[in-house]
Amino acid sequence: MFVFNAFGSLGVVHSSDSQADFTSSNTKPDGAGYGHSWSANVDSRFGAQLTANVSSQLSAVVQLISEQDYSNSYRPEVEWANIKYQFTPEFDIRIGRIDLPLFLVSDARKVGFANPWVRPPVEVYGITPISNSDGLDLSYRLHLGDTTTTLAASYARSYRIDLPLHFSSESRDVSALIVKTEYGAALFNLSYLTSHATLYPTIGLFSAYRELGAPGDAIVDTYGLVDKLSTIFSAGVSYDPGKWFATAEWTQFDNRSFIGDNRGWYVSGGYRIANLTPYLTYSVLTVSPTSSAGVDAAALPAYLAGTAAALNAGLNQILGQRPAQRTDAAGVRWDFARNLDLKIQIDHTQLGPGSPGKLFNLQPGFHFGGTVNIFSAAIDFVF
Amino acid sequence: MNRIGLLLIGLVCGIAASAAMADVVAVVSAGSAVTTLSRNQLLDIFLGRANRFSDGTPAVPLDQAEGSAVRDEFYSKLAGQTAAQIKAYWSKIIFTGRGQPPPTVPNDVEVKKRIRANPAAIGYIDRSAVDDSVRVVFWGQD
Repeated sequence: MFVFNAFGSLGVVHSSDSQADFTSSNTKPDGAGYGHSWSANVDSRFGAQLTANVSSQLSAVVQLISEQDYSNSYRPEVEWANIKYQFTPEFDIRIGRIDLPLFLVSDARKVGFANPWVRPPVEVYGITPISNSDGLDLSYRLHLGDTTTTLAASYARSYRIDLPLHFSSESRDVSALIVKTEYGAALFNLSYLTSHATLYPTIGLFSAYRELGAPGDAIVDTYGLVDKLSTIFSAGVSYDPGKWFATAEWTQFDNRSFIGDNRGWYVSGGYRIANLTPYLTYSVLTVSPTSSAGVDAAALPAYLAGTAAALNAGLNQILGQRPAQRTDAAGVRWDFARNLDLKIQIDHTQLGPGSPGKLFNLQPGFHFGGTVNIFSAAIDFVF
Repeated sequence: MNRIGLLLIGLVCGIAASAAMADVVAVVSAGSAVTTLSRNQLLDIFLGRANRFSDGTPAVPLDQAEGSAVRDEFYSKLAGQTAAQIKAYWSKIIFTGRGQPPPTVPNDVEVKKRIRANPAAIGYIDRSAVDDSVRVVFWGQD
């Protein structure tokens, strides 16, 4: 009745840029580069899962994951904890903390063994930290000829994510629709999500804009992140006939705030030679807007002109430092034992003009818009 | 040992493994109404995407032991996938709480025994183990 499974990864990462940190998720407080020359925090984690099959209709699953969190602790977190009721073999409902598989591998992105790469491309998978929700989902599986299509709809009232530096983000009314079609070796994924997002605490810059009255309020309404509509649209395809694989995904994350319009995509492919799978990936992340005219100083009393100019400079700094980058990655996966693989990957990343890309903890010597090389090695296991 | 050496051994083992492959067929109970299955139908059943045959009756897949030649050959023939790839596939399903792989049985004789006991069961065995109690529904070609 009970089934226990576990997975994990032990990885080390080195970055060529010691003036900033690179890591796998924006929930982590440091990474490789500035924080550590070699960081084990980027990809290492351990997950354990208990599944209870109460009857052929009713089952429950709890998964705990221990990995570096926002507070630099490895305290285990509940990744999923839900109860599933299977009305028919094709139709089920899940209630609790459920996965939100917006992208092709987002539900298994932490299970290194399940993926060809050291980590899914950050240009797509790092676009939003949302990967689960506290709510319910309905899933219906449709067999048409040789294709299997799964339609899933999910809803959560609210979901909070803790971020480093005492920030947290809260998403309200998270609704998602996901369509997945499998045909032999081909897999297609389409997803759409809407939610209302708030960042806590409010960024000081926006509180200061409010002091400028109506013109300042207009700026806050445009760029502030309080109860702002977020939409994510994503399309993915993968083809894996066995000897080789090819996969591509495109996503657009739009938030009506300084976060703006973020588009990420990648193409990746690999070829299997016995137990070795070399692969190549090209991934791109673009953002807009990257600048703003800010508040019109001429519309304000003369004594506020200096304040307005300073605030506008601050706003343009935030917008200009949104993450834009593109990466060429090459790596190899070696399945050296039944439950174990070893991966080596090199990422060559070109940061967008004036942008730090996905790098953070920027130091005074950091070069915006430069290039960085990331070396990663990881051992993944499942049992 | 250097990496090139390991690589060569890996390649040689891969070639040796393919030479030793068994001739595997998918079977159901001789009393089952199911007469033949396409590659995709069989794939859906063994990869947990479908739990019924095309006529709507329940399908209960049985795997053979991990590491057995017949299992490796079955997935290689059916999906062109190695044991590691199938393991990676199931990792994805298991750790998203979406299912568990088929139960494993130790050998051809045990597969036939389970199929005799359960008309919904479907398994795979070496062609030489086929007898009157089972019906072959997939030979390796559509």
